[in-house]
Amino acid sequence: MKERIGVYICHCGGNISDYVDVEELGKMFHQEDNVVISKDVMFACADSNQKDMVKDIQENNLDAIVVCSCSPKLHLHTFKNVAARAGLNPSNYVQVNIREQCSWPHSDRPREATVKAAGLIRAGINRVSFSESLENIELTVKKSVLVLGAGVAGMKAAIDLAKSGNEVFLIEKDFFVGGRIAQKDGLFMSGQKGKEIVASLYEDIKKQTNITVFTGTTVEKVSGSLGNFHVDIKVKPRFINGKADKQAVKRAMDECPVSVDDAFNLGLTKRKAIYKNYPEALPDVPVVEAELLKNETDFVAKFASTLNLNEQEETLSLIVGSVLVTTGYDHYQPKEGEYGYKTIDNVVTLPELNRLMELNPEKLVYNGKQIKSVAFIYCVGSRQTKGENKYCSRQCCTSTIHTSLQLKEKYENIQTYHVYRDIRTYGKQEILYDKSSKQGDIYFKYEEKEMPVVEKEGKSTIVKVKDYLTAKKQMEIEADLVVLVTGMVAREDSTHISEMFKIPIGRDKFFNEIHPKLKPVETVIKGVYIGGTCQGPKNVSESVQSSLAGASKITALLKSGTVSVDPIIARVNADACTWCGKCSDVCDYTAIKEVEADGKHIAAVNKAVCTGCGICAPVCPANAIDIAQYTDQGIESMIDGFMHEVEIREKEVNPEEVQEEGKVGMKEYPQIWKNILETMDEKTTIPQVVEKLKVSGELVTYHMMTMNRYGVVVPAGMDAKEEYFYYKKK
Amino acid sequence: MSRVNPEFATELKKYGANDFSACFNCGNCTATCSLSTSDSSFPRELIRYSTLGLEDEIKASLKPWECYYCGECSTQCPRQAEPGELMMSLRRWLTAKYDWTSLSGLMYKSLPASITAFVLTFIGVLVFAFNADFDLEHMMHVGHLFEAIAIASIMTVIFVPNIIRMWYFTILKPKTKVPFKRYVSSIGEFFVTMFVQKRALDCDDNRFRWFEHFILVIGYLSLLFTTVFMDWFSSQYMFVIVFGYVVSAIVFVVTIDFVNSRMKKKKAMNQQSQPSDWFFVIWLFMMGLTAFMTRLFIDLNILEMNKWLYILHFTILVQWALIIVPFGKWTHFLYRSFAMYFAKLKEN
Repeated sequence: MKERIGVYICHCGGNISDYVDVEELGKMFHQEDNVVISKDVMFACADSNQKDMVKDIQENNLDAIVVCSCSPKLHLHTFKNVAARAGLNPSNYVQVNIREQCSWPHSDRPREATVKAAGLIRAGINRVSFSESLENIELTVKKSVLVLGAGVAGMKAAIDLAKSGNEVFLIEKDFFVGGRIAQKDGLFMSGQKGKEIVASLYEDIKKQTNITVFTGTTVEKVSGSLGNFHVDIKVKPRFINGKADKQAVKRAMDECPVSVDDAFNLGLTKRKAIYKNYPEALPDVPVVEAELLKNETDFVAKFASTLNLNEQEETLSLIVGSVLVTTGYDHYQPKEGEYGYKTIDNVVTLPELNRLMELNPEKLVYNGKQIKSVAFIYCVGSRQTKGENKYCSRQCCTSTIHTSLQLKEKYENIQTYHVYRDIRTYGKQEILYDKSSKQGDIYFKYEEKEMPVVEKEGKSTIVKVKDYLTAKKQMEIEADLVVLVTGMVAREDSTHISEMFKIPIGRDKFFNEIHPKLKPVETVIKGVYIGGTCQGPKNVSESVQSSLAGASKITALLKSGTVSVDPIIARVNADACTWCGKCSDVCDYTAIKEVEADGKHIAAVNKAVCTGCGICAPVCPANAIDIAQYTDQGIESMIDGFMHEVEIREKEVNPEEVQEEGKVGMKEYPQIWKNILETMDEKTTIPQVVEKLKVSGELVTYHMMTMNRYGVVVPAGMDAKEEYFYYKKK
Repeated sequence: MSRVNPEFATELKKYGANDFSACFNCGNCTATCSLSTSDSSFPRELIRYSTLGLEDEIKASLKPWECYYCGECSTQCPRQAEPGELMMSLRRWLTAKYDWTSLSGLMYKSLPASITAFVLTFIGVLVFAFNADFDLEHMMHVGHLFEAIAIASIMTVIFVPNIIRMWYFTILKPKTKVPFKRYVSSIGEFFVTMFVQKRALDCDDNRFRWFEHFILVIGYLSLLFTTVFMDWFSSQYMFVIVFGYVVSAIVFVVTIDFVNSRMKKKKAMNQQSQPSDWFFVIWLFMMGLTAFMTRLFIDLNILEMNKWLYILHFTILVQWALIIVPFGKWTHFLYRSFAMYFAKLKEN
């Protein structure tokens, strides 16, 4: 129990005191038990008052303070700092909000506002008397980071993290780094090829001695918390003998008898069972799909020294201080028959077209036919107001238009048609739209309620669209190739990743940050950050921006080797706890574990993980859990305080002070008013005053209007020309 | 259901429309146009049709003729798509489509073809002059006869079939039902347009241009009348002689201003002159000037010593009558008048 409490009640200029009887409240709490000082102050947040408070605390040896002013969002930390400066633990400070909760909303009923304020203040005083001095929890953290996903976002972030002195484990599920950008030939705006960017990033990674890259690797298990995450990873074998001669490996690749669909080329080509995604793919070691070579005993025998089909997968345990998730996205895969996909032979997706273009350097050929016209249908699998993917995929408009420009640049005489819903080439990307439209690309606008239809008419493929740019005329577009502009969707394994790391996912299955504006890369799990397109659709620049933001946050977090965490967490009363597990079941953060202490099973709270959300406290049947600063006793005392009877008299109003509407109690008029009034005769116009005083017309008009507003002067008809009003003194 | 035809844009570019693919359909052109109405709105619609290559729709449309090219749309266009120039090009294209001989199209699209035609007609006149032994009286007699015959034959062989084709494209093919009575009651629109072009008055800030144009049309038609029916060059009547001077002077003085503004390119409508535009104004100017000079030389009695002046005038006349009138920009004057007439028929 605190016994020497200081209470400060703020006027906030007149914001509070105009309605709440602050002076009366100040007197009321003088008599309150344990309140040593109770004051009403003009501005509690003013420097002078803060200094006074420090002095009060020190001179009167106060052990807790209450400031009754505005919202804690505004000044909680101001006054906590005052407490700290005076040598008082900031936990012994309580702020009571009598502005937003009393004077402002109840300005029509001042007495009731005062009664409510009295209740809230008493509740605050009661609460502070149960406050404890708490210290922030200091955690030791390991200066190592797990970066999950070696796409452009992950690779760039890994380099930055490593340069800032962190040990980095960069994990990639595929056997080659680079992710999606390796599949795109020539990127806006730099014009660089995706593969070139991947190669240069990989070179940078190799230069950093503190980055370990794992390819063909997945996360199996995650435990621990901020500062000490224990992550088990599984590294799949490449089945290539590490000592094998490079030439022999190449020969094995060439001679491999088994071919399968090439996933990197989205099934447009075949590849061998010993493969690289593309010739320059990194790391520069091919991968063997051992399953496929099961029956090829002759081949395997021939390359026995090169292949190592008995290689086993490895499980490794890493300990990292923080995790950056950059797992990326999946292309939306149209359903069979969606705009003729898979049912009409010349319907492909945009990513497929991009692969096709790279594979056809001279002429664009698909299914043996040279392509002369391409119709793009936008927003396939995005912006479905009634479907699953309600969001806009953000980058596909730009990507399509960029592809269209590349088509015309690369191949001669290709006509492109763009069947869109809205073109969203924001920012500098608008340059692309400008170029495309000026080069003769034809745009058609459709609405979701009247979707385009792709049909086969004889040998030709027709896109039928109700064109909103041509007064909703039904148009037919004959195209050699129909390209479905597919957006980004969350990766298939996003739910799995989310469960392992406890990252919340949205309805769209993308990972959720805490706050889209203010905590854009942080997740509710301390120490786990997200970057790139695993969070939602982004273009390359935006992906890298967000992953680097995550990298910076992590560097700052791990910099000192320790992390200070808010002490407001759940606490278990070991005597009362009987371990029923209910608290652990409801905890969203898996902060509660069963432990054995003194031969008894009880719940234990992981201080690094608990957020103090409080959900465990009410479910405990033994009432063994409370939350620091929000103890049962404290909260009950607040209720008691609020329910305490208050006597507030209706403020006695001196009849002489009653003023008419619009009048103010003004002890003295400003000098300029006096000057103006002196010049005024029975009836005077503004120009006459200007003439006499030799001051600007605007000034006189302003003050005349103000005086009129406050009833110092009144209008008295118009002059003869009906140009100006006369004013007279009231 | 209309099939998109991107080739049309390539074709239209040959008629002078270059930038319309930049259009992003904002509709500022239509909003700013003082002639566009909610019942008949342009140019945006026609830009869209041109982009998509909807030839049938364009052929059936009279809207290109409703535009008098004040150029406001091109000035206001945020994409520099030059809608005004597109409308002009559509008029050229339509002229080519109405013309059953297809020669108009050839003249518009190919400068060499036009030049060849001009050269051939010049050679023809020279051959004729040699055959006539440069006998001035004979030449002037034939010249006068030529005018009357040319007018009559071009009217019947070229214009009548072309107007019927225009009527077919715009009224019959789109299945517009027009009772015969309306053909009679609306005929006033045709004459008003032909002589007064009163719609052009609705263009913003266009009074002076309209007035110039009005004077030029009256001057030109009067000159035609004076030379063909009053036989100005041989006339002895003072009134006819003076009237001829006045109207021929009007023709070349007014065209000086037209040539001048095409050269200065101050207004949007003057910025993108095609060869057909140049031929039209220059030949009109030359015709007025050479006619004026010929009569002047007759009155000064020095034409005998300056036979080449008459040969020049005759060449200009032949080129005008055989190239520019039937296959060049002159036809706009005719088709526009009919377009207004047909529009009136459709409107009722």
